[in-house]
Amino acid sequence: MTDDSNEDKKKGDDAGGSYDASRRRFLKGVGIAGAGAAFADHLLADAQAKAPANGPASSVAGPVEIMLEINGQKRSVRVEPRTTLLNTLRNHLDPPLTGPKLVCDMGTCGACTVLLEDKPVYSCLVLAVDAVGKKITTVEGLGSAENPNPVQSAFVDKDALMCGFCTPGFVTTISAYLKKNPNPTLQDVCEACKGNFCRCGTYPRVFAAALTAAQAQTGHD
Amino acid sequence: MQQAPAKKKKKIRVPRVVNGVETMVEIEIDDEGGPGWGSNDKHALLNHHLRRVDGPLKVSGIAEYTYDKQAPGMLYGRLLRSPHAHARVLKIDVTAAQRISGVKAVISITDKPAPDASGAGTKPAEPRDTIVNFAGEPVAAVAADTPEIAGDAIRAIKVDYEVLPHVVRADDALKEEAPKVYPEGNLEQRDSQGFATKVAAAWEKCDVVLEAEYRTPIIHHACLETHGHMIDYRGGDTATVYASTQGTFTIPGDAAKELGLMESNVTAIVEHMGGGFGSKFGIGVEGALACRLAKQAKAPVKLMLTRQDEFLLAGNRSGSWQKFKAGVNKDGSLVALQALQYQLGGLGDGSQAGQPYIYNAANRYRERFAIHTNEDSSRAMRAPGHPQASYAIECLMDDLAYKIGMDPVEFRKKNLTDKVYHRQLDSGAREIGWDRRNQTPGSANGPLKRGMGCGIGTWGGGGGPQCKVDVTIARDGSVMVAVGTQDLGTGTRTYTRAIVAEELGLQLTDVIEKIGNSTLGAANASGGSTTSASLAPAVKVAANKARMAMAEQLAPLLGSVKPEEISFANGKVTGGGKSLSWRQAAAALPAAGVTARGEWRADLAASGVHGVCFAEVEVDVETGRVRPIKMVHVQDIGLPLNRLATESQINGGMIQSLGMALWEGRVMDAKLGIQLNPGFGDYKLPGCAEMPELVAIIDDEDKREAVIGVGEPSIIPSVGALANAVFNACGVRVHDLPLTPDKILMALTNGRTTA
Repeated sequence: MTDDSNEDKKKGDDAGGSYDASRRRFLKGVGIAGAGAAFADHLLADAQAKAPANGPASSVAGPVEIMLEINGQKRSVRVEPRTTLLNTLRNHLDPPLTGPKLVCDMGTCGACTVLLEDKPVYSCLVLAVDAVGKKITTVEGLGSAENPNPVQSAFVDKDALMCGFCTPGFVTTISAYLKKNPNPTLQDVCEACKGNFCRCGTYPRVFAAALTAAQAQTGHD
Repeated sequence: MQQAPAKKKKKIRVPRVVNGVETMVEIEIDDEGGPGWGSNDKHALLNHHLRRVDGPLKVSGIAEYTYDKQAPGMLYGRLLRSPHAHARVLKIDVTAAQRISGVKAVISITDKPAPDASGAGTKPAEPRDTIVNFAGEPVAAVAADTPEIAGDAIRAIKVDYEVLPHVVRADDALKEEAPKVYPEGNLEQRDSQGFATKVAAAWEKCDVVLEAEYRTPIIHHACLETHGHMIDYRGGDTATVYASTQGTFTIPGDAAKELGLMESNVTAIVEHMGGGFGSKFGIGVEGALACRLAKQAKAPVKLMLTRQDEFLLAGNRSGSWQKFKAGVNKDGSLVALQALQYQLGGLGDGSQAGQPYIYNAANRYRERFAIHTNEDSSRAMRAPGHPQASYAIECLMDDLAYKIGMDPVEFRKKNLTDKVYHRQLDSGAREIGWDRRNQTPGSANGPLKRGMGCGIGTWGGGGGPQCKVDVTIARDGSVMVAVGTQDLGTGTRTYTRAIVAEELGLQLTDVIEKIGNSTLGAANASGGSTTSASLAPAVKVAANKARMAMAEQLAPLLGSVKPEEISFANGKVTGGGKSLSWRQAAAALPAAGVTARGEWRADLAASGVHGVCFAEVEVDVETGRVRPIKMVHVQDIGLPLNRLATESQINGGMIQSLGMALWEGRVMDAKLGIQLNPGFGDYKLPGCAEMPELVAIIDDEDKREAVIGVGEPSIIPSVGALANAVFNACGVRVHDLPLTPDKILMALTNGRTTA
């Protein structure tokens, strides 16, 4: 892979057929989005300082109306181009989706994980405008308190959560992973969750829940 | 009304917790009897594996944390931090920030005090403290329509500083020429205990004398939900404050003061919270600034710290520097121990349990000092002061044991009178396979060397009479238990519900708990592992009173039966040869149902726990990398309210101790006075990839039919256990945490085995 584009990253993953949740790989994939955020930020600060009515930067600075496909619904939302997908979901949607959590805001913890075209991404590193036309799935779209998916059920059964702030991220990561690998080993699960942090110390039970969910799913299939 | 007979009183000692630091105080309480918990192995729900009741909400992402709260017209707050460790703020220019469209409020530490809102005249303008004493101290704050605009505003504020000399390292702070953090100096004596002269006289009686020092760095709570609040205030007489806090009732008073309201007109709400570990009591500087922003903007403000803020200004576990001289006899008895203990709490005092911690030493003397530096104040963190003290003494005990050629477990037993530790040491040794350990540290073949170590900890964890719990049984059969307490992820909701359900013979799903609201019955803040021991007894008493009130209503219906003879079990109410379903029984209640309030009863709680940890690690002596293999923690706890949550919490303690032992530590740049690793990219938390096999053992030999908190104990003994396992594996002792590859390689190169 010589290019940093998302397109190439996807192709590479498909071709390899292996799951790679490593942070470096991920960062590489969203490199452009990250740079874009910094760039837009800079333009806006300039635009604000000069406050031009119709200055050259105004087209970048103003909010734009975009349409996102979230959990199977088309949702229209007005955001500045620099707004992350995470902040868009949490702050701009009405009603908001606050399952994905803002914890580090720099792609180090995984609490904001959502699925973009069924693939886990850190939504704090994706611009909302870059998610247009892609299928977005948040933890709320995976199941509900009354109708949980097998991963969500297993998390409750195995006590794979304490404060619960990292939980949506883990649930999302694992739900996507089990689609790729329905019969994982403990080592596989551990590897798949490497991009997610928990501070209360739930890891062993998260792994147990993932394995239980895998069994439950293959049992049903 | 008939006068109630005067109640008998009795005096008891209970732990009181101030900002997570525990002290014992004597109080007088009513000596009233009442139902006990009963035998620990005869519970229908308690002491079983109960799924946490807030689990479904949390796994589906709909549990609302403070960070998730919104209100119409709500603004987003953000802080501007000082980049200097010590500086005088000369001027703060906020005009550019104020001009940005979408910015609704800007405040700074150089603002003049606002005129008194009551209209009773303007207060005399007081000089504001414009000195910043650590890098990260807030100097200004903004509120704006979006977090992005708030970020713009922060960047647009211009601050002129006169940079002053600083000191951020303990060693530097002790130097004569060091800048003074406080006018009195950087070294502050906390206490001294024992007899220095006796210790001095004892050295010559010892077979072996060892001197050693051990250090632990400042580490961070790293709560995933950062500190913060949503202040729902739009002017007027009332406000609602959503807080990520460990103490619902620590919020209204603080917030009322900032907002200029009556305390009783401020409601605090804590439905779910994303971790505290000792760092979240009161509204803090971030909450105070959020209140001032809301007041200025006359609009709700949500101000959650950024991750960097969290590292730089939201507290930490104090570091430690402990110097020992210890003497033992060949039979393993500790004859003399002298300890010089420095607590490294930055601007704060830090904390450290006194040495020799749990061990007996015939002659002992210790001095404790705080060394101050230009770093934000330490706060309580999960068992404040204990992991530091336990780690150091456990390393020392191991070093002494190897020096006299004694099994480290036997050496510990020799110097511990409390037999509970002996029992737990045996149980942990069995589980880890202690017989397999290296008899000689570092003696395993090959570059991947395994080793084992152990450690011991103690904690109080008792309760006190702060909680007021209301249980209501409605005519439709619904049951509600209400108390203002908070659930930090420890499982408070679940056991609160379970105690009531068990008392009434119902299932968990038949009861609803209402917590996290300061308009409900009072509750203590969650510090010092005192929540369960304070709350559970009050819940039990309330549930029992509600049950008896219901029984009195039902007795006439059931025929000739006394209320206390009516049984509540398996969803049925039975007595006088008749049996009613729960619904039938509830339908017989008066229209308002029955309500009962319960308060704490001393005999339902206890304090004082023991914990032992064994660890096995593998050290790659070519790279210095440590791989944890297995950890076993044995913990007594009295009556475990929920075994599943208790085991989870013990796992959590072991995992956090892994971080402290192997990876975590604040890294400061001495010259710049700033932290170099204020983020998860550079501050290494325990992650999935490093997880060893974890075995949490609840010590059921503890037959106390009483509730004791267990949040904190499980982080204490494992730090020392891991350090000792590394020593046992590679044969060299690294004297400062974390045990990173660079230090291990250096120690291997130097071939040091002890200090």
